[in-house]
Amino acid sequence: MLPLSLLKTSQGHPMLVELKNGETYNGHLVNCDTWMNIHLREVICTSKDGDRFWRMPECYIRGNTIKYLRVPDEVIDKVQEETKNRMDRKPPGVGRGRGRSGGDGGGGRRQAKGGGIGGRGGSMDDGGGGGRGWNQGGGYPSGNRGGRGGRG
Amino acid sequence: MLFFSYFKDLVGREVTVELKNDLAIRGTLHSVDQYLNIKLENTRVVDQDKFPHMLSVRNCFIRGSVVRYVQLPPDGVDVDLLHDATRREARGG
Amino acid sequence: MPLGATTITLTIYVNLELISVITNDGRNIVGILKGFDQATNIILDESHERVYSTKEGVQQLVLDLYIIRGDNISIIGELDEELDASLDLSEARAHPLKPFIH
Repeated sequence: MLPLSLLKTSQGHPMLVELKNGETYNGHLVNCDTWMNIHLREVICTSKDGDRFWRMPECYIRGNTIKYLRVPDEVIDKVQEETKNRMDRKPPGVGRGRGRSGGDGGGGRRQAKGGGIGGRGGSMDDGGGGGRGWNQGGGYPSGNRGGRGGRG
Repeated sequence: MLFFSYFKDLVGREVTVELKNDLAIRGTLHSVDQYLNIKLENTRVVDQDKFPHMLSVRNCFIRGSVVRYVQLPPDGVDVDLLHDATRREARGG
Repeated sequence: MPLGATTITLTIYVNLELISVITNDGRNIVGILKGFDQATNIILDESHERVYSTKEGVQQLVLDLYIIRGDNISIIGELDEELDASLDLSEARAHPLKPFIH
């Protein structure tokens, strides 16, 4: 899952943004782009030391000034849902010339593989260290989220 | 690309990476990329008493931009080879 | 060589149980890596920050779901969970890590 897809999916949700200068911005995400520039509404800005506040109806933040973003927990499930829906959807225009190129259909299938829960592991790790991977063949503990609460 | 190629040849050797926050990590060079990002295996922090923050980390990815020094194994430096490579690089080859 | 081969990939860390991130401002954040991109931006789920101090043991702050920008990241490490469980964090005393000065 790409960080920017998660951010895009966070549209409409409240979030906290900390800038490199230490200021934090709380607001609802209106929009974002591929540079991580973001547009927030109903914003409360907090100074670095945390003792001064400013309320503003909206603001734009340049992506490269951001340190991190905290987004609501449920958004990650929403991304997974959307990815799944995209996979399930039939490619448009099948049988009218477009399908023949293999572009749509092939893309859909490829996504179905790579985006699947277990499939992600091996799909990209061809670069790194060849036979010296750290977790060769072991397979990851699959999606076991039992840790929640235990560590909190 | 000289340093990238150089570090690629060092893969498998023991190095110590000193970071810009004074933390020094020793480990086996696992891989390196064009940004000189580094992956180390079997890592240990050199001064564990001062820096217990990574005690349970056994392998890690280090962003190239935070590296101050890489301490090399002495026999990992072939001066003649480096000279040649540097001249070739300077000529734009 | 394909272009992608020159870029170290973090794929082997994805969905591993726990990874430990050290940021440029010296924070230590532990969580599950859900994704990353070319710029080393990362998604951390179920994350918490470990705050070190010399006066008391390690405090853990719950952060949950975080997107950390790549240019704010210095180290990403795989946490050995057995080893981690054997550490008594409440006994650990240390200065917080210094921020990185570029």
